[in-house]
Amino acid sequence: MATRTNSIGSCSDFRMSRRTFSKLTALGTAAALSGIGEVGAYPTKFVDNLIEPASAAPAAPGVDLVKSHCSHCALGCGFLGRVEDGVCTGIEPWVENPINRGAMCSKGTSIAEMLNSGTRLKYPLKKEGGKWVKISWTEALDTIANKVKEIKANYGPDSIMWIGSAKVTNEECYLFRKFAAFNGTNNVDHQARICHSTTVAGMANTWSFGAMTNSWNDMRNSGLIFFCGENAAESHPVSMQHILEAKNRGAKFIVADPRFTKSAALADQYVRFRPGTDIPLIWGICHEIIKNDWHNKDFIEKRTYGFEQFKAEVDKYPPEVVEDITWVPADTIRQLAYDWAHPPREGSPACICWAMGATQHTVGTQNIRSFACLSMLMGYVGRPGGGCNAFRGHDNVQGATDMCVLSHWLPSYYGLTEGSWKHWIGVWNEHAPITFEEMKAKFDEHDGKSLMHVKGLTVSRWYEGVLDASVKQPNPVKMVFVWGHSLNSITEMKRMKKALEEVELLVGVDPHATIAASLADRDDGIIILPASTVFEKDGSVTNSARQVQWRNKLVEPLFDSKPDMWIMKELADRLGLGAHFTYDSPDDVLREINRGACVIMMRQSPERLKRQQEYCCAFSCEDCQAKSGPVKGEYWGLPWPCWNDEHPGTPLLYRNDIPVSEGGNEFRTRFRGADSTPGNPVSDDGVSMLGAAYGYSEGYDEMNCDGTPGSGWKFELDCDWKEMIAQNKCPSGAGKSRFRAWNLPDPVPVHREPIESPRPDLVDKYQTYDDMEDHYRVKCLFKTIQQERKNLVNDYPLILTTGRQVEHMGGGAETRSCRYLVELQPEMYAEINPKVAMEIGVKHWDYIWVQTLRGKCKVRAYVTERVNNQTVFMPYHWAGWFEGVPYADRYPPGCAEIALGDSCNIICVDGYDRTTNMQETKACLCKVYPV
Amino acid sequence: MTTYKFLNVIERCIDCGGCFAICKDQNHVPEGTARVRVVTINEGRPGEKNVAISCMHCYEPACVAACPTKAISKREDGIVLTDKSKCIGCGYCSWACPFGAPKYPHDLPPELKEYEGLMDKCTFCVQPFEPGKEREPKPRCALFCATKCRLGGDIAQITPVYTAMKAGSMGRLQERI
Repeated sequence: MATRTNSIGSCSDFRMSRRTFSKLTALGTAAALSGIGEVGAYPTKFVDNLIEPASAAPAAPGVDLVKSHCSHCALGCGFLGRVEDGVCTGIEPWVENPINRGAMCSKGTSIAEMLNSGTRLKYPLKKEGGKWVKISWTEALDTIANKVKEIKANYGPDSIMWIGSAKVTNEECYLFRKFAAFNGTNNVDHQARICHSTTVAGMANTWSFGAMTNSWNDMRNSGLIFFCGENAAESHPVSMQHILEAKNRGAKFIVADPRFTKSAALADQYVRFRPGTDIPLIWGICHEIIKNDWHNKDFIEKRTYGFEQFKAEVDKYPPEVVEDITWVPADTIRQLAYDWAHPPREGSPACICWAMGATQHTVGTQNIRSFACLSMLMGYVGRPGGGCNAFRGHDNVQGATDMCVLSHWLPSYYGLTEGSWKHWIGVWNEHAPITFEEMKAKFDEHDGKSLMHVKGLTVSRWYEGVLDASVKQPNPVKMVFVWGHSLNSITEMKRMKKALEEVELLVGVDPHATIAASLADRDDGIIILPASTVFEKDGSVTNSARQVQWRNKLVEPLFDSKPDMWIMKELADRLGLGAHFTYDSPDDVLREINRGACVIMMRQSPERLKRQQEYCCAFSCEDCQAKSGPVKGEYWGLPWPCWNDEHPGTPLLYRNDIPVSEGGNEFRTRFRGADSTPGNPVSDDGVSMLGAAYGYSEGYDEMNCDGTPGSGWKFELDCDWKEMIAQNKCPSGAGKSRFRAWNLPDPVPVHREPIESPRPDLVDKYQTYDDMEDHYRVKCLFKTIQQERKNLVNDYPLILTTGRQVEHMGGGAETRSCRYLVELQPEMYAEINPKVAMEIGVKHWDYIWVQTLRGKCKVRAYVTERVNNQTVFMPYHWAGWFEGVPYADRYPPGCAEIALGDSCNIICVDGYDRTTNMQETKACLCKVYPV
Repeated sequence: MTTYKFLNVIERCIDCGGCFAICKDQNHVPEGTARVRVVTINEGRPGEKNVAISCMHCYEPACVAACPTKAISKREDGIVLTDKSKCIGCGYCSWACPFGAPKYPHDLPPELKEYEGLMDKCTFCVQPFEPGKEREPKPRCALFCATKCRLGGDIAQITPVYTAMKAGSMGRLQERI
């Protein structure tokens, strides 16, 4: 392991070191710390009598404490950057932030080190004749822009793939989607595709919005917290603060997971189940609840649709059947059903939480649907402490999803229909002139249809767009932008490597080199641009709980890095699109978003966000509501829908026992069969989709600004909805959520075995889907490969599942470059059970091969009982080795991460979600043997 | 009178490593040594528990008694500090300390060579690795603790919090038995 000095520019002569700096100023930080709250104990400042705004002003001359937000998970933890003479010398706790109250995990506390990391990219580089050559920004941008023009002229705009990022601000995400549109393609996508796209599809198809329904803090009110495929102690450590508080107050905490995780260690009960069997597990619980007549009939009747069809399906999963599929004893399922229906804390509902353990499956969307159904069955959704909490991954992945850096939506979840395009073109036209016809002319046609209205390639399978000659667009992809994305988080890395070698130009934009620079075997045709980190620019970020927080710039961009907005603007100028991307500040971009993003009512103006930040100490940690001061009544982060500039935000989706003006919400009347008319939405089989509204009055359809039924609320830009909200009407209607989603491949989820199942006897009974010819423009095999591999278990007897390490994040380029985190977690490993270790004859920390049909990984053996003797676990943050071969020498000099390792995604299965194209990383078959 | 102390509610520790990282950052603790680290018992099985271990700033510090050069002393406010100019790196304090808190860093970078082999341990954030101007006792490990399981401060202030949290955890345990 390399030893580095604790300096900002150990690889260059840039600026002074942090250590030297502290010496020079001889400034103890103590002075800057006065007034940061009680030491280590619960801060007592969250009382209701607060009037004065909390001051972020320096407590010592020359020291600024700047409010910012962590760049790792989607909790949105706040911290204060300690900035001395323009250098970030460390961080201090932001105790008044209601979400985390100053707390941070190892990644958060390493922020200053990561920001100042010496392995960051320092200037634009291109690979030429096998060598990395330093180039100027002008040369880099000119080369890229010329290539874009050339590719567009020769192959059409769809031959460029734009891979965006969830690690940038809302404003940049929005501009990125807009940028792809102005470049005439829907081939734009980002991390949400591979982390929670199935959550969005699953929940949105159940009850209209795809986001976490409640908030982090709200989990304090839960009576039972049920984790299914979530390991918050590692992926969202600070959220455990709220979960443990609920536990302290009497809630039961249950963790269901194939692996005994760190979260499981803190749980009241741990349930081990087989990877890929979430639906039977949940259906077993539902089956028992219905059998015992514990379900909430009132809620089901008034606010849901399709219970009978749901019940018919669930009836097929009695506990004994479920036991056979899932490993979970029938009695445990009965007990779980009782607990779910009777949370031990009197009067408090239960909530279900998940992350990628549930989403990354061929049946990901259906898994999430089953969770939502479990919640609806008891009427827990829309209540404090209840709901469905999808713990999202990146700091702004909710925002990036809302801004729809996705190939099948326009910002704010507008589809690719003509009406949606016209809506956004109307908004964009206000900034610089553009008409629908002009936009349409930018797009190619394929099979007689404008590709403007056709879903583009996805991040999970973009490489097939390069390799598959039958891709459903005029030409294969010839150029790819990897703009803030770790490619090692995508499966089938061998295919991807090949694609990276075939494209004409590969452009990487990131603070770190990442494997975009090192993976491909090519001597030229790579340009990498140093983007600034999120701490070097202003902007808003949306956390998983839909709370929008303003992140302040801590320091000017280090080295020769540039903010993404600047890079986009410069490229736009060179492509003749400059007028559409010229903004004075991120604030102006946010105002444009505020104007157009009607579906989610993202009307949190920059002014209101900054005011909340200033008065942060007025917000309660219990419910995130301000109890005093000028922000009184507002919810922290003004969670969307935030209907207008007076609305306090909607902390809990679908809660209709409080008025809309105080944050109440209804199920949208989103689902309409062909026979629906304005004012009377019906299902495809003719059942009214109007639910019960606030005060449990009759439901109503969505509205126009003048109060008539219609979809005007999504398109009328100048309406502030105040009149309607004063009458306690939710402009998006008051409809029903769906047990039966008639538009999905399985209207009610059914169990389908993973592509590589360890149970050949179940494969025929619970078959996967039929193959698809055109799944986001490429072919996708399901049944064919499942049948081919039916007896694979004979050769590959173990189940491989993947997951998180607390010390690392995403593809790990940032965290594996941080000395502190590398000290904690220095090497890639695979967890194997002691029995397995004994069988293959390896000791703890010996090297082993983990092999699947795709390839093999050389990793350390971590011998532990966390996994049982049928399972192998690998973390997914690692890269820099490829099947045992170190790639360190391929990085630009001085820019390789400190810790490198083999990527588990080289060997994960080639299965994809039927609805969203999410990759299946949580269940495939492997074998292990010593090196 | 103020008496500084760490208390850990082990039922709440998730082994996130936040204490380790912020201590490194705040106190410029070099690679290869640590003033606080998380120890896990029963890893991977029911009964798995984590606890952050550092110098516990004992009321009657065994290290102080053992130190032959009187380099270690306990301040009036309870914080146990080492005077690196007096330390000879003999390692006696490691024999005395029940927690393994004293560390004797080696392979230090050139600018820190003078501290090679000398005892280093938690100072309640009063002194960084390279001694300098004294700072206020505000231990960052506790201030930043992800689940607020590590409490650090005046014993009178943190005890009620500790008791409440512990009672919550223990009460639940009893109920379940």
